[in-house]
Amino acid sequence: MRGFAVAVIFASVVAAGSAPRAQEPARVSARGPAARVTTSADFEKVVKPFISENCFTCHGNKKQEHGLNLQALAVAPSLLDHGDKWEEVVAKLRGKEMPPIEEEQPEEEDRQAVASWIAKELARLDRVTPPNPGRVTARRLNRAEYNNTVRDLLGVDTRPADDFPQDDAGYGFDNIADVLSLSPVLMEKYVTAADRVTRRALFGPPAMEPTLVRLRSEGRRVEEMRTVPPSYDSTGLSLPNAFHAIYRVPVDGEYLIKVVLGGLRPKGSMPIGISLWVDQQEVKSTSHDQENAASFEIDRQDFGGQSVQFRLRLTAGERWIGVAIPRIFEGLPARFSGPNPSTRPETPREFKPPPNAPPERLAQLKKRFEEAGAELAKIPLNGVRVNAVEVGGPYSYAKGPSRASKARIYTCGHLNGQHTSTCPTRIMTDLARRAFRRPVTGAELAKYIALVRSAQEEEKSFDEGLAVGIQALLVSPDFLFRLERDRPAKGPSASAQRITPHELATRVSYFLWASMPDAELRRAADAGTLRDPNVVAYQVRRMLHDPKSRALADHFGGQWLQFRALESVTRDRERFPEFEDYLRLSMRRETELFVDHIVRQDRSVLDFIEGRYSFLNERLARHYKVPNVAGPEFRQVDLTGTPRAGVLTHGSVLTVSSYATRTSPVLRGKWVLDNLLNAPPPEPPNDVPSLEDSKIGKSVTMREQLEEHRKNPICASCHRRMDPLGFGLENFDAVGAWRTADGSFPIDASGVLPDGRRFTGPDELRAILSSERDAFARAITSKLLTYALGRGLERYDAKTVKAIAARLPRYNYRFSGLVIEIVNSLPFTSRRPSTELKADNSTTTRRSGS
Amino acid sequence: MIVMGKHLPRRTFLRGVGAVVALPVLDAMTPAFAGPAMRKAPLRMAFTYVPNGITMADWTPKAAGAAFEYTRVMKPLEKFRADTIVLSGLAQRNGNALGDGPGDHARAAAAYLTGVHPRKTAGADIQNGVSVDQVAAMQIGSQTRFGSLELGCDDSRTVGNCDSGYSCAYTNSLAWRGPATPMPPETNPRLVFERLFGDIDTSLAPEVRARRLRYRRSILDLVGERTAQLSADLGTNDKRKLDEYLSSIRDVEQRIQRAEADMTGLVPNIDKPTGIPVLYADYVNLMFDLQLLAFQTDSTRIITMMMGREGSMRTYPEIGVPDPHHPLTHHRNNSEWIEKVTQINTMHTQLFAGFVQKLKDTPDGDGSLLDHSMIVYGSGLSDGNRHTHEDLPTLIVGRGGGFKTGAHIVYPKDTPMNNLFLTMLDRMGVPMETLGDSTGQIGELSL
Repeated sequence: MRGFAVAVIFASVVAAGSAPRAQEPARVSARGPAARVTTSADFEKVVKPFISENCFTCHGNKKQEHGLNLQALAVAPSLLDHGDKWEEVVAKLRGKEMPPIEEEQPEEEDRQAVASWIAKELARLDRVTPPNPGRVTARRLNRAEYNNTVRDLLGVDTRPADDFPQDDAGYGFDNIADVLSLSPVLMEKYVTAADRVTRRALFGPPAMEPTLVRLRSEGRRVEEMRTVPPSYDSTGLSLPNAFHAIYRVPVDGEYLIKVVLGGLRPKGSMPIGISLWVDQQEVKSTSHDQENAASFEIDRQDFGGQSVQFRLRLTAGERWIGVAIPRIFEGLPARFSGPNPSTRPETPREFKPPPNAPPERLAQLKKRFEEAGAELAKIPLNGVRVNAVEVGGPYSYAKGPSRASKARIYTCGHLNGQHTSTCPTRIMTDLARRAFRRPVTGAELAKYIALVRSAQEEEKSFDEGLAVGIQALLVSPDFLFRLERDRPAKGPSASAQRITPHELATRVSYFLWASMPDAELRRAADAGTLRDPNVVAYQVRRMLHDPKSRALADHFGGQWLQFRALESVTRDRERFPEFEDYLRLSMRRETELFVDHIVRQDRSVLDFIEGRYSFLNERLARHYKVPNVAGPEFRQVDLTGTPRAGVLTHGSVLTVSSYATRTSPVLRGKWVLDNLLNAPPPEPPNDVPSLEDSKIGKSVTMREQLEEHRKNPICASCHRRMDPLGFGLENFDAVGAWRTADGSFPIDASGVLPDGRRFTGPDELRAILSSERDAFARAITSKLLTYALGRGLERYDAKTVKAIAARLPRYNYRFSGLVIEIVNSLPFTSRRPSTELKADNSTTTRRSGS
Repeated sequence: MIVMGKHLPRRTFLRGVGAVVALPVLDAMTPAFAGPAMRKAPLRMAFTYVPNGITMADWTPKAAGAAFEYTRVMKPLEKFRADTIVLSGLAQRNGNALGDGPGDHARAAAAYLTGVHPRKTAGADIQNGVSVDQVAAMQIGSQTRFGSLELGCDDSRTVGNCDSGYSCAYTNSLAWRGPATPMPPETNPRLVFERLFGDIDTSLAPEVRARRLRYRRSILDLVGERTAQLSADLGTNDKRKLDEYLSSIRDVEQRIQRAEADMTGLVPNIDKPTGIPVLYADYVNLMFDLQLLAFQTDSTRIITMMMGREGSMRTYPEIGVPDPHHPLTHHRNNSEWIEKVTQINTMHTQLFAGFVQKLKDTPDGDGSLLDHSMIVYGSGLSDGNRHTHEDLPTLIVGRGGGFKTGAHIVYPKDTPMNNLFLTMLDRMGVPMETLGDSTGQIGELSL
């Protein structure tokens, strides 16, 4: 009996796909505004009885499993208000997941018919509903934005926000307004940072005691060599004997770098060199001789505990400190046949017994001599290494405010303290306009200026008073948040309100620079010319070309491609001894430079998939087996003829999508679906069995294990999509090095996609991805739009994403084209007015503000 | 080449990397913070969280009552038998899916101290409950310099989504000040130290410091007013953000008032850590040492600490476990994997035991710090393989709560963990009717 009535009414709808019929209620209702009544009637007649019968028991007024009350939502005209929920209903019905299998089941025809009706009605409503730009919550500056903003506002480049609590991420990014909460701890830090930043800007760096920090470098193991290799990195930077670490220099000044050495070198070798590199530039070098530590009996140079020191100036900020031993195979005694051998006289080892030694003493000495000889034979040629590095300082650092800070603060033209009585107002007004990223009113500023004046009086100091005012600006909500205000609605049904030119300028500059607008952008906003598409295009191109757009590579690229995770990934040292810090830092740098190149050189975004070039230094080139790249500096390298192209073959991406002990075709497949094809697979069900690591590569292949897994139909539905993509990358191991075998099994890098397309190896996989450029265009558009808006995308954004992606070919897929389209898009230029403030808009269909 | 100057404080880094932190006798300092009314040693409350569950077969003692045998994972804590109470059968049922599908790790952490079912969202509308520690901090936190401390041992650069469509806020934070306000843990020992002791610039003349504190208050007044004004015409979500801002401002104002009342400043006799130690054991020990200091100086009485964020992928090569923790816990009963998980679990309890020992060795009022503490140790998952939120591994050390220590109590299945928290709040002097899904104070605990 159950469901019978529904079946009768819906018989036609079910068959609609094959044979259209005259009295098809749903199809008719989908046309024209007059159909609306019919639609509601259908809903009441058809959908409601079905869901009331099958769903309300658990999802109704009495009970709300999964927090879902369909009874409350079941009002035809407002279906779209909860479009995402109804879409879920459609999916659950279509997938026969609901009602749950253990409950009474409706007729299958009915179930599918109701699902189709809802889906069609949603699509229709989407077409007739006014566009919804969404509403971005007040965005707190995240750590990167705070750092950049105080740099640009006050010329203080100390990255104070690095000490703030970590920003939580949502939708894959850490600039999502709703997720950026403000805890009391953070408020404390804001207050402290405002004090420190202001004092630094006005009075220069604080008095700093020199401190000593020992830097650590992990995961190095020197493979001992007893013969001179035919070729090697003569800078020594990429050898495990070298040392690499990131050090945050607190202030421009002089520092002492102490290099602690270790290891052995054959006696008779020349002094070793030690070179100091800062940010990949060789800045100092010296040499060290341990020959005198070698004696007749010991026969070797022992560098254990020896140290050398460098004194040098460092500029504030994060510095990549490298210490290497150059030309390690040079200067060895001639008998090793190395290049440029030692000129020290090689006294052949010779047993010279002391005269008159008694025979037993003689035998003892002889034995000792031979043992020493045997020891000598064991001394590796490349044993000497940098064990540790200590940084002491700062000494004689620059005192007083920097030129950059003075220029940004003292805008009333009296740099030398000859301030007039109008200066405080002038200075505070200028600063506030920039800090709040909008025009400010005199009334608004009056309190700040009063504070400045009273403190100036009390402290008897112009600057001390100013300091209080600037601190107040820096903890103000107008600075810490990017606030966008609703303005009185012009029409009764305004579902989208254009944001002001200054709000737009602010959105653009935080999108492209993760910082406040500069003077030129501000002027465009002041002049109101930002509405002009040509001006927007000009500004976008200008800003993308500016070095500050590096923020896009760091923050958008780092999170979209996930290479930020490189910092915290670990690799099993037994299996991947080569994964030391230099390689890790180099991998990260490669992808950063690649993204930055696409941004700044305005390349096609398709390069992310198929660009046959990358940026390598010698270490990475060796890792990738790309010849003819010598030296530590990164340079663009043509990858034609290698299996590598696009980010998918970057060591960074291949590493972050692997486990510590092995590759994972599943993770990599998911990575591709998530980030390149915009088709994230659903989350796995609970209690999902995982692979047995210990067997992989020994008794079974990864592929066999996964095939076993796919025998389970629940698993198969998604793994058929994920795994093949990952298999195509199996030639790259868990740190992205090329391989042809996994343990005792040859690599099989073939895969079959669910649609039957077959491929073998990364090149053919890439060809398939290249043919999916529409999917990729939508993927990068949704990711970049999410990042640009600082909110998760909603159902109503799908239109925008589709439209932008479809227009990318017009720009030849250039990065600037994508950015221009985003900056001109409805959600970027407008916002939905707050519902609770605009009661007169209640007739418009839109999602609630929660 | 230059000879290293003698004035370099070499100890800075030696101690800073965490090998040894000498603990000062700070008892003498306590009166500076504690008014005469608080001569009696105060009660402290702390929660130490381990991620990804625990191998329950190696955790739960067989027998109930006083005569139970310490299991393998608990063994390092056996020397504190008389100070310990083991609780079996407690559950955080709101960590279960309840129709929300996957994401048990996010829910385990989020529900652990709240007893509330966190809303599944990647960010748009985060919602959880207020956690037990924050309930206490809001009531009695004003008695100390810091209402509470939140610490963690995973310097987790957040990348991507954290667990099955849940925002990282859920996996990263145990402490929730409000339903949408997680308290992210501080993971850098240097910053914990600076927060505890570094903000007071003792080199300034007292009158200068006093004036600066006063300016700070005027500044906060000013921006507070401005915020109230702004809030009047903003949307719901914007308002929520500004409410967070405003309530944080009030918190800082209170701190400033307390600092004004006490201008002496606290200079701990310990060197400032320089950063995160390389070895996990050093790292954890240093964080525990900072907790000890915070308690010892009565800087706070409420601490939460995550020895790892939920779903942690940390590897433990130093104990022969090069595999990441989380995938290992999905062992499908492979004995080799279970063994590795147990080794990780045991390393955690060993480290925790070191902390307990220090608490026991630190005099406090008429006894030791341990005597005046109640420290919950446990995880929001029991079986990490199956993601179970019932029968959570839980124990309390310290006699501060006046509990029936020296026993293993087995509660009826699905007894809410929050019943225990309700009882602890009561002991802290914060009586509550309910908390999350609590059904009343927990039984059988009192002496």
